[in-house]
Amino acid sequence: MSLKSYSRARAIHVMLVYTGGCNGCDIEIVNCIFSPKYDAEQYKVFLTWNPREADVLVVTGPVTKHNEKPLKEIYDAIPEPKAVVAAGACALMGGVYKNIHGDIPSEEIMGPVENIIPVDAKIPGCAVRPEDILSGVVSALPLLLNAK
Amino acid sequence: MNNTIEGVFMNEDNKITDKNVIETEVTMGTVHSAAIEPYRVRLFVEDEMVKDAEITVGINHRGIERIMEGLPVEKANSLTEKICGICSNSHIWNSVLVAEKAIGIEVPERAQYIRVIMEELERLHSHLLYLAHGSEVLGHETFAMRLFYIRETVMELLRMIGGNRVQYGVSIIGGIRPRCELDEMRVQKIMEGMDIIEEKVLEFADRFVSDPMIMSRITGVGVLSQKQAIKLAATGPTLRSTGVEIDLRTEMEAYEPFEFNVITQDDGDVKSNLLMRVLEIPEAINIIRQAVKNLPGGKITNRSWDMQDAPITKSYIEVPRGKLYHSYALEDGRVRNSIVRTPSITNIGAMQYAAVGHHITDAQLAIVQCDPCFTCTDRAIQIIKI
Repeated sequence: MSLKSYSRARAIHVMLVYTGGCNGCDIEIVNCIFSPKYDAEQYKVFLTWNPREADVLVVTGPVTKHNEKPLKEIYDAIPEPKAVVAAGACALMGGVYKNIHGDIPSEEIMGPVENIIPVDAKIPGCAVRPEDILSGVVSALPLLLNAK
Repeated sequence: MNNTIEGVFMNEDNKITDKNVIETEVTMGTVHSAAIEPYRVRLFVEDEMVKDAEITVGINHRGIERIMEGLPVEKANSLTEKICGICSNSHIWNSVLVAEKAIGIEVPERAQYIRVIMEELERLHSHLLYLAHGSEVLGHETFAMRLFYIRETVMELLRMIGGNRVQYGVSIIGGIRPRCELDEMRVQKIMEGMDIIEEKVLEFADRFVSDPMIMSRITGVGVLSQKQAIKLAATGPTLRSTGVEIDLRTEMEAYEPFEFNVITQDDGDVKSNLLMRVLEIPEAINIIRQAVKNLPGGKITNRSWDMQDAPITKSYIEVPRGKLYHSYALEDGRVRNSIVRTPSITNIGAMQYAAVGHHITDAQLAIVQCDPCFTCTDRAIQIIKI
């Protein structure tokens, strides 16, 4: 048993990366882990801001041009095995910013997240609901726990 | 080369000069653990004291004004809601106000009241989020959790009225959406919710103010003088916390039937800013109670209007962070020349200034005290130097 899987049997660390959405999903995710009502910490799901510490990467937002490189670097910095969860309509398909436009489409959006890094689980919604976030993160867990 | 040894400047006689402190640049971002949103801060530090600060924005730029160009006005209005997930209702309300002003639509009184209720509920959740974020940056995670718990009551009310926790889409041109109509059950739930929030917020305020550790940490940090705040064109609570009594709500048509106080604080430091938000929460609750009690009957939407072309029309409203500006022209029912100016964009100067002159560990706190929202901030702007 490697050191990481030993620690993972006790706690899952989630890293949240924000790639240029509207803040709605991010606050819902922080709220879901922090707020005593949903309190993901009771299931030993912790929020971390350090990629080296993280097991699950939760990505929100449509990935703007300036966020593409940081996102790739953060993904590379997370040790294997890892799972990526794309949360919210923007992360799944670029959201309103990519798909709705008048005369000129936006050139700033490089997303969806799938275009840049591989995605293991998807959470739909605009903005994502806390219940969905919990189930989305849980659905990515077998990938981590069954990895050798 | 001879007069530098390991980065310390020496005189010719090998004595260390007075200028042996070297300015170092500490950069944060664009993705950084202390800042949830991506932005970049450059702090120029001399002996752990911040001498200069520079905030770079533009990482979140999605070009919303540009993609609004040529969209049907109803669609463009709901797109403005996606500018910000914290003050989404403010954006859609102001954008709808522009169209109503341009075409000359009269909004039923009941719809105005419900819009005000939504706006004040949003102010409650925004201020509670600000306090939670501030507590987290202070290092007091328990307070942050407690505030998230109080905020959950507001989120449930927002979900009940709008059907969604974040983007509720209440306003449409001519009134509000039929699903946001307040029936008796909803009115009762709002009243109950207000009682719960008021009790818990007052309890929190009492604990917050009487905690000597927190008060000593936040007093005198990130000071923004009144003169400087006016010069830097700060708006909203950031300006009011320096003692300037300006609140656009006193001039807005929708707020005419309500009585409320404009809260000001004197010092302009982190303490003033945090207390400012704490004291604004009972005022918002007061407005919601008045609106719910005197909710007029009648229609909620005025549908008897025709689309017509209009020149560029402007609208200003007061949102949780300050003054929000929207403007666009109408052409065949489509939006042209859209401009959005958010309060956070005018507060950037205040953020940079507040961080200067303090210890580097307080810099993040000084930036957070101005309530930054960088998704709002990343608009297409042109800065003109005067």
